[in-house]
Amino acid sequence: MMARLRGRGQDRAELHLLAGAYALNAVSGPDQARFERHLAGCEQCRLEVRGFAETAARLGASQAVQPRPGLRDQALRAAGQTRQLPPGPGLRPGRARRGAATARARRRRPGRGPWPRLVAAGVAAAVLAVAAVAGVTALRDEHRISLDQASGHELAAVLSAPDVVMLTSKMIGGGKVTVLMSHHMRALVFAVAGLPPLPAAKGYELWLIGPSGSRPQGMLPAGQAKPMMVAGLADGDQVGVTVEPRDGSAQPTTRPLLLMPLSL
Amino acid sequence: MTGSQQARWPGPAGGAGADPELALLVSRIARGDQRAYEQFYDRTAGAVLGLVLSVLRDLAQSEEVMQEVLLEAWRTASRYDPARGSALSWLMMLAHRRAVDRVRSEQRAAEREQRAASAQVDYDDVTEAVESALDRERVRRCLDSLTELQRESVTLAYYGGYSYSEVARLLGVPPGTVKTRMRDGLIRIRDCLGAE
Repeated sequence: MMARLRGRGQDRAELHLLAGAYALNAVSGPDQARFERHLAGCEQCRLEVRGFAETAARLGASQAVQPRPGLRDQALRAAGQTRQLPPGPGLRPGRARRGAATARARRRRPGRGPWPRLVAAGVAAAVLAVAAVAGVTALRDEHRISLDQASGHELAAVLSAPDVVMLTSKMIGGGKVTVLMSHHMRALVFAVAGLPPLPAAKGYELWLIGPSGSRPQGMLPAGQAKPMMVAGLADGDQVGVTVEPRDGSAQPTTRPLLLMPLSL
Repeated sequence: MTGSQQARWPGPAGGAGADPELALLVSRIARGDQRAYEQFYDRTAGAVLGLVLSVLRDLAQSEEVMQEVLLEAWRTASRYDPARGSALSWLMMLAHRRAVDRVRSEQRAAEREQRAASAQVDYDDVTEAVESALDRERVRRCLDSLTELQRESVTLAYYGGYSYSEVARLLGVPPGTVKTRMRDGLIRIRDCLGAE
């Protein structure tokens, strides 16, 4: 079979067919290495493998059985005693460095992680997109840093949600707002650029304002365009911004400078 | 071959396998949130155990692997990248790899091939998870819609833990055929699950 795979065009076509087997974890040996090299340069294959992996996961989940109740405590205890890996190379495009611990999980198939570094660039690109639309490309590096932090991780989940939509608006008095929202995740990423500076004792507070009242979402970082993550969106919610004392208020005390319907 | 180049890619949102809340739980776990881990365990342990059991066919070993997989998820939560797929598929991938590692290291290939045709897990000791009953039925219907060769190729690989060349030997067909049947089978299952 290997001999048959030599020709260039045929090679690609044949390799492409492996996407299904690969997603089923049924490719090993030299085929695996060859397919992974192929994947690196074939975005369509990556998408296909990704889609198939979702299908496989459903095949797996459909087999669910009830674990013995005693296992739960064991598992929670074990977690309590186990150190976690810091956010690492997985989120950094173009980095081959890997933690020793991850290497253990790969012992059977060196070079293949639980998720090969297929679409790593995607998240970074999405975050940079937020930066770009908010007109804050100059802060690129800051965003890249935030990716390596846990909050960037959650944020990335929203940015890469398949149903993500972008909304923009202008604030009264200045400030261009960009919201990237996933209805499905009931979460959004809020970014604003060009906010007029406030006296030191004041700050901009972010709100979810809905039929059942206003929920504070934190103070916008002064002088920075760092995106903020807002989760737990409810039907009828609007995003609001008010000027409040520096430490924030429990309820808005001034007229909103932004009131942005989310059509939830 | 069906749907080769223009097939639609549902991505992580396609079907009930996509669970955005699960992704958020993973991101909380990545920050050491034990409450999130509890919820994550409650929602996924049954699926992990079921998949591992289908590959290993031994409850005690499967429980052990399930615990390893969930601990691995706790440990490596910060490395989960939502851009690469749903949290469920990440977890099931970990589970499948572990199960296959275990079965390939502990059993000789020949021995496995002997059992493959006949062996069924003794499910008397386990209870099907109630929540998955609907999904189980859907998946069964979708598997039933495949040709026999497609179905056997997919299930031997995924539920049986065999590589595609092993599947080819087991079924007595060329590896190239198995390869395409796996792909075609997955496309049909995907479309079938997506349509339900």
